[in-house]
Amino acid sequence: MRIALINGSPKVYKSASGSLLEDLKIYFAEKDEIVEVQVRSTALSDKVMEELDTADAWVFAFPLYVDGIPGHLLACLAQLEEAQLQNHAIRVYGIVNCGFYEGIQAEFALKILQNWCVKAGYIWGCGIGVGGGGGLAMMPQMEPGQGPKAPIEKAIGILAGQIQQQESKENSYVSVAFPRFLYKMGAQTGWRQMIRANGGTARDLGKRPE
Amino acid sequence: MKLIITDLENFNLSIKGEHKIIKPQGDIKHCIGCFGCWIKTPGKCVIHDGYENTGIDMGKCSELIIISKCYYGSVSPFVKMVQDRAISYIHPDFVIRKGEMHHKRRYKNVISVSAYFYGENITDVEKETARNILEANADNYDGQVKSVHFYKTIQELEGVIL
Repeated sequence: MRIALINGSPKVYKSASGSLLEDLKIYFAEKDEIVEVQVRSTALSDKVMEELDTADAWVFAFPLYVDGIPGHLLACLAQLEEAQLQNHAIRVYGIVNCGFYEGIQAEFALKILQNWCVKAGYIWGCGIGVGGGGGLAMMPQMEPGQGPKAPIEKAIGILAGQIQQQESKENSYVSVAFPRFLYKMGAQTGWRQMIRANGGTARDLGKRPE
Repeated sequence: MKLIITDLENFNLSIKGEHKIIKPQGDIKHCIGCFGCWIKTPGKCVIHDGYENTGIDMGKCSELIIISKCYYGSVSPFVKMVQDRAISYIHPDFVIRKGEMHHKRRYKNVISVSAYFYGENITDVEKETARNILEANADNYDGQVKSVHFYKTIQELEGVIL
């Protein structure tokens, strides 16, 4: 089976979407052929389009941007719809990484992807909304089933099976195994460290330019 | 002030009162997820292409009016890129609102959001998705949805007074 892993994060380094695809890729290491695509612009090259056309499954992973799909990736989806690729037996899956704690906040971004499948003529598989994605790319590797990523890894494992079986299922939503108040505190501490590293103060985070 | 974000280059709808229009004028760069608008130049996007001040404009508006072609229940790529580049309107810190995590306010204004979608063959499911996303946007802006409209063509929109 040929599976395209499509990273829709605009980030070059340390993207949570990339980290989630790496976790997924482990399940495909031996049996399947993997095509990896990075989408960091508003258009896909002809070469990428040709590669995608030969896949049996597309797995899009992207960050939740303003409750939806990042604009540059949305432009690429429109391009794929316009291109009318020959292979319409492609089954599409989605992983949405959400900076908020609740994975369910990715519900409508997955719905857009699902609606796109209908318009573009592809088969919708299913998707997962991952909450608490803000720290995923920085989390240390732990034993399988251990640590804050455990429920996310479990959901990724189930998704991998669904992709290999070419199944269409309901979307699922998962959050990092870490108390919400601690996740909130951790994020806020992180913003303060980052603004100080850029020469600002914690107070500057709330500036109101006019 | 009414802030209008549209993908229509030749925008000519009637608008009552003070307003600003953000429409395609030169290429727009997409958000690169750098968070510079929160940690380098708080409140303003660090990409200088003419679209970096939308977050500031949102801080001055009472109404946000989106006029966009409907793409699968979403706004168009142009309008979405403008929205993505305007997360500086909100503060990076989190608050719990309606039982869910959202971002804290940066500004005090309460935005009322309206959307005018156009496009042939907008399905009922896409309309529902669009309404849901607008509600989610309003929750994240700590504002409210005023109205959501759908039109088959741009011409049908021409009689609308914003």
